[in-house]
Amino acid sequence: MLLLSRSKGLPPNDYANVQHILHGREFRAEELPLSEKVIKDCVKKGYVAVRSGIVPLNESVLDLLTDRKKWLCARCGNRDQETFATCTCGRCRKNCIYCRHCLTMGIVRSCTKLVTWCGPEPALHHRFIHQNGPLCVWDGTLSDEQSAAAKALNQALECGKSFLVWAVTGSGKTEMIYPAIERQLKNGRRVVLATPRTDVVRELLPRMRAAFPDVPISGLYAGSEESNADAPLVVSTAHQLIRYSNCFDCIFIDEVDAFPYHFDRMLEFAIRKAARPGAPIAYLSATPPADLKNDYLSGKLCGVMLARRYHGHPLPEPQFRWIGNWLKLIRKGQLPSLLCEWLRAKMGQKRQMFVFVSSVTLSRDLTELLQRAGFSGTAGVHAEDPHRHAKVSDFRKGKINILVTTTILERGVTVPGVEVCVVGADDPVFDDRALVQISGRVGRSAEFPSGDIIFFHNGKTMAMVRARKQIEQMNQNGGFR
Amino acid sequence: MHCLFCGADQPEMLTFRSLLRAADSPGFCRSCRDRLALIGSQNSCQLCGRDLLLLDSGTVHGHICNDCMQWKKSGRNGLYERNHAVYQYNAFIKDVLNQFKFRGDSVLACGFANEMKRSFRRIRKEQRLKWQSGFIRSSGDYIVVPIPLSMKRLAERGFNQAEVLAETLGMPIINALIRVRHEPKQSKKNRRERLIVRDTPFRLENEYASLILGKNVLLIDDIYTTGATMRLAAYALSKGNPLKVDSLTLIHA
Repeated sequence: MLLLSRSKGLPPNDYANVQHILHGREFRAEELPLSEKVIKDCVKKGYVAVRSGIVPLNESVLDLLTDRKKWLCARCGNRDQETFATCTCGRCRKNCIYCRHCLTMGIVRSCTKLVTWCGPEPALHHRFIHQNGPLCVWDGTLSDEQSAAAKALNQALECGKSFLVWAVTGSGKTEMIYPAIERQLKNGRRVVLATPRTDVVRELLPRMRAAFPDVPISGLYAGSEESNADAPLVVSTAHQLIRYSNCFDCIFIDEVDAFPYHFDRMLEFAIRKAARPGAPIAYLSATPPADLKNDYLSGKLCGVMLARRYHGHPLPEPQFRWIGNWLKLIRKGQLPSLLCEWLRAKMGQKRQMFVFVSSVTLSRDLTELLQRAGFSGTAGVHAEDPHRHAKVSDFRKGKINILVTTTILERGVTVPGVEVCVVGADDPVFDDRALVQISGRVGRSAEFPSGDIIFFHNGKTMAMVRARKQIEQMNQNGGFR
Repeated sequence: MHCLFCGADQPEMLTFRSLLRAADSPGFCRSCRDRLALIGSQNSCQLCGRDLLLLDSGTVHGHICNDCMQWKKSGRNGLYERNHAVYQYNAFIKDVLNQFKFRGDSVLACGFANEMKRSFRRIRKEQRLKWQSGFIRSSGDYIVVPIPLSMKRLAERGFNQAEVLAETLGMPIINALIRVRHEPKQSKKNRRERLIVRDTPFRLENEYASLILGKNVLLIDDIYTTGATMRLAAYALSKGNPLKVDSLTLIHA
């Protein structure tokens, strides 16, 4: 009897607490607010799974023969051997390998343990599931094409199949997924809307909150202070999903092709880890990456293509203007005269303008030049700018007329009536996808369905030609020619 | 070769030196190195190693800054003579240090290795010159002692940044000190709190006491701010009767 009472373990309340913290997530043992004893006890009960942070990776026979150790970071899926380093670990008193790739989320060493919940599922207790009326209170209407696409998307996700929405910029993708999200939420599923960029999350979050007022929504991006981890709907950057594991039943990825996602395999890994096995993924994009495009065209992946904007006007097509060696001019402190003329003309018409440039230094230089040339209300933003969110919201309010920006604002930003130029469109930074996205900033609202989009260049590049061709093609598919 | 800090793949400039030198250890790229502010040995404070060009000339007394004059007057120096610092504190090195120390990216120390070694060579050379010109009796080389962390802090941080920096010098490291008292972080204190006279949190490890007897000790740490830590460590070392105690830090704040 005495023995039995001693191995009683924790009071049931504690398990609920552990479940609350760990369910659907994966943490390093040291960042948990739980004591080692509690974790050990849960492991013994089979509620909690613990695994090593860094695991050896032996892919080929050659590795075994040469005895060169290779590593894999279990948290971020990094297998680039250059980004592993060793340190003399103060905790285990040995030489530890650590992953430099996901260092910003807390260091993962060989001796780090990753902890996740593998016990019983928690009961769902969201009030809105039992609510009878619709969850989505968005009062706009979808066009015929949009509602057909929304229906197809909904059906595919119901059957657990992935789906590609290939829709031109400004076709109202976000509104199109509302019915599908509503359906999934009603079925008691956990849904995540992942996007590659903080700016896009910041734009989407208020829209989702307005559309689903009764649903707890948590927004995760670098610097967000969100603690509502159990929210059934999560809007997140792909980076932040790395702390989730085996959690979501349905995933929406907005702007699949955006730069970090298709360059950085960590983000793909993070999304796969955050999803439950077999969870359907809905990809949304105006310019899908080659593999998805091929899968869709060969019929492996269900999908739908939308070639018309929601307001039914064609996409504005880019124009090319040669301005000579723009880099040299700007370095010398001169403004290309064609650019100047265009900006003056647009200032006269009281339009707002995005000026896209290829690098941070160029954005600083050009902003200064424009301010000196007497363009009032000019500001520059780039990824390292601490005031960038403030500047973008000032631009939205109309306080800023000309916003000089790097490619960070190439997508997800909707400002009605804006016109766009790209200075140095021949720079290799601007690939065809980026240029299509940039062109897509123009004419998004029904009041201003058209506008200029000008590529100032020093020699046409393949990317520029392809981008223009793609837009023309889409307009043709939309029945405008 | 990728830059250790920013990850950019910038080729080194081709010079005779880079051509003839053995393969480089991984380091920082040119643009990152340009953003680090090296302190020239000619215009540094002779006692704390800070960059005197950044101070008003009124607060400098013949190559010695005001703070060091205060220390001298206070009589708390004991065996502690002077500090050498490699970089001046700035916003960029703050980021690097943050990643190195608080995020645990200990491999960044490799990027500092060259400059640390160069400073160490210079310190030894000065020492030799002094000996040759008869200023000091012993040419005794330095014994490298990193500033230790408390056990609790070590477990929290996972590594001792001072020890990692000391390793870059390529000298045998003597962990002669132990930190017996766990205190709040110096970096979370203000100047006044740092300078309060307090008991040393360090203790000399008995088995190493004989090693430092009559020798020069070089303390290694990541950052010199007010010099309070250094003096407390030197005080603990003085139980082992070293000849003198100097220090080398990566940064002068």
